[in-house]
Amino acid sequence: MRRPELWRTTTFRLALLYGAVFAAGVVALLGLIYVSAAIYLTHQMDEIVIGQAQALEVASPADLPEKLREVETQDVRSVNFYGLFRPDGSWIAGNVHSLPASAPPDGIPRELREPGLQPGARAMAKRLPSGEILFVGFDAKVLTGFRTIILRSLIVSGTLIIVLGLGLGAALSLGPLRRLQLVQQASLPILDGDLGARLPTSNRGDEIDMLAGIANGMMDEVERLLWAVKSVGDNVAHDLRTPLTRLRALLYRVGQEEVGAPDAHRAMLDQALAETDALLTRFKAIQRISEIDRRERRAGFGAVQLQALVNEIGDLYGPLAEDHDLQLATETAPGCEIMADRELLFEAFSNLVSNAVKFTPPGGSIRLKLTRLAEGPRIEVTDSGPGVPENEREAVLERFYRGRREPEAPGSGLGLSIVAAVARLHDFRLVLGDASPGLKVTLDCWPIAMSH
Amino acid sequence: MTRILAIEDDETTAREIVSELTRHGFEVEWIADGRQGLVRAVSGEFDAVTLDRMLPFVDGLTIASVMRSTGVDIPVLMISALTEVDERVRGLRAGGDDYMTKPFASEEMVARLEVLLRRAQAQPRQTKLRVQDLELDLYTREVRRGGREIALLPTEYKLLEYLMRNSGQVLTRTMIFEAIWGYHFDPGTNLIDVHLGRLRRKVDTPGLEPLIKTVRGSGYALNAAS
Repeated sequence: MRRPELWRTTTFRLALLYGAVFAAGVVALLGLIYVSAAIYLTHQMDEIVIGQAQALEVASPADLPEKLREVETQDVRSVNFYGLFRPDGSWIAGNVHSLPASAPPDGIPRELREPGLQPGARAMAKRLPSGEILFVGFDAKVLTGFRTIILRSLIVSGTLIIVLGLGLGAALSLGPLRRLQLVQQASLPILDGDLGARLPTSNRGDEIDMLAGIANGMMDEVERLLWAVKSVGDNVAHDLRTPLTRLRALLYRVGQEEVGAPDAHRAMLDQALAETDALLTRFKAIQRISEIDRRERRAGFGAVQLQALVNEIGDLYGPLAEDHDLQLATETAPGCEIMADRELLFEAFSNLVSNAVKFTPPGGSIRLKLTRLAEGPRIEVTDSGPGVPENEREAVLERFYRGRREPEAPGSGLGLSIVAAVARLHDFRLVLGDASPGLKVTLDCWPIAMSH
Repeated sequence: MTRILAIEDDETTAREIVSELTRHGFEVEWIADGRQGLVRAVSGEFDAVTLDRMLPFVDGLTIASVMRSTGVDIPVLMISALTEVDERVRGLRAGGDDYMTKPFASEEMVARLEVLLRRAQAQPRQTKLRVQDLELDLYTREVRRGGREIALLPTEYKLLEYLMRNSGQVLTRTMIFEAIWGYHFDPGTNLIDVHLGRLRRKVDTPGLEPLIKTVRGSGYALNAAS
């Protein structure tokens, strides 16, 4: 299972979204303030320019150059520009020495784009009654200053919003995230098959508690139903085993005491005994699976040398395979030691090889192969039998499933279920594959959790 | 006559044990509770005990361990409804010699008890096992029948040794599987039969009197008739 990541949490994403919306709001607000202020300031500058021109034009043409010098000295901020030009455009007075082309002498203030001036500067030129041209301009230093303030505010507030938004998002998400991680940890044993485990709840009563509560409720129900199903199976198996065992004892005793009975009777008795044994085998297997699933056998765990185990299986089943005209080959690798329940592993492989012997037609072969991979040892049991169709491979691991083509095969029909139960107990991966032709069963002897 | 003490609180099971053992010529005393059972078990009047794992007052494990700690070393066959292998280990550790789970086939119970009794009576310093003209040397691991040497594989040797140590005694397939391979599950199919068949082909060659006999419905016995 993947650990939840901070940035994937809903709270964190919400916090980010809020931050983004807030940032957009701030940009819009500051933009609006700037635009309104720029319009207002431009208007003010125009009025200043017009006012100054009016104040100057009342002076007589002879006094005008002196007047210009006078106002120039008063302009400590050097935001004002003046120029007096002859009708042919040549300079008479003022700090502007040539009439800018962008200022036609029509008395209307316009934007003045000149090098050395701030963008947004305003200026107007006006033809005086004497024919001379008076030029008055006003630099937009205030507007520029204001723009700088707005931009600085945008940068500072933007940084603050991003940092605070991320921080707040993380702070808000960490709490729920930590609880979700607790829930995740608590759910691992449930996924592992421990149906008694429950998700943790706090007494906050928030949505996580609500969901955990619902999940716990469902788990209660699942557990109850599973126990009901299981105990029906177990009880039936257990309750029927006792009378069956007595029935078997009776049949056996009849057989012992019927000395000299006709052969037909003996044969029927033997068949009755065999049938009873088959039933007992099946019930025992059901109980066996429950027993393995109840996991009271972790106590049996110890170091197991797989090479020895595989060789032992080979020795145990070699003669049986030979009797069925099958070739049983073992291929092992040294140094494959794992922590496992030796008896259960042996039982599992025994079931696999026993199945292979059962389902492989005479003349075929069975291969037991132990290899050492980087993750751990792998054991494969391959046969040259009919195999298991892909869509049945999951089902054959369930209790009582048997390939449709082999309805009369001997055995409890539970061999693979026992193998699956053993694999579950060890947390090993059991895979049924195609050996084309035949079945290849692979058991990876390392915890599934490690493979992720 | 061999005297057996059956400590068992379930009446049906107890009746089964008593009747089966009596049928095989044992003298049986039945005790239904643990406290009384413990008193009788250490009395020195019995040759073997069948002991239920769960009993009123004093449980089977306690009885077995008290017996062992007081020096009573007669064979104890634990019989229990607890099938878990951990339980088997606990039962054997407490002092049981063998462990059977309920429900059991009564002939298997008798067979196991007989094997235990025989083991208790065996001479400890035996170097050779002999059954009729079949000879097994425990030191050299040589097997001869009528003087002719028989070459056996390790498993076949172990099998024959087990059969010879318990000659005349019915041994079920489960008992054989447990004794030779040391596992406690049902291996199914005719796995054990195949191994016995191989051994039989080597030991009972044509023309010789067959020594390994199949006991209908229960198992095998070496030289069962005599």
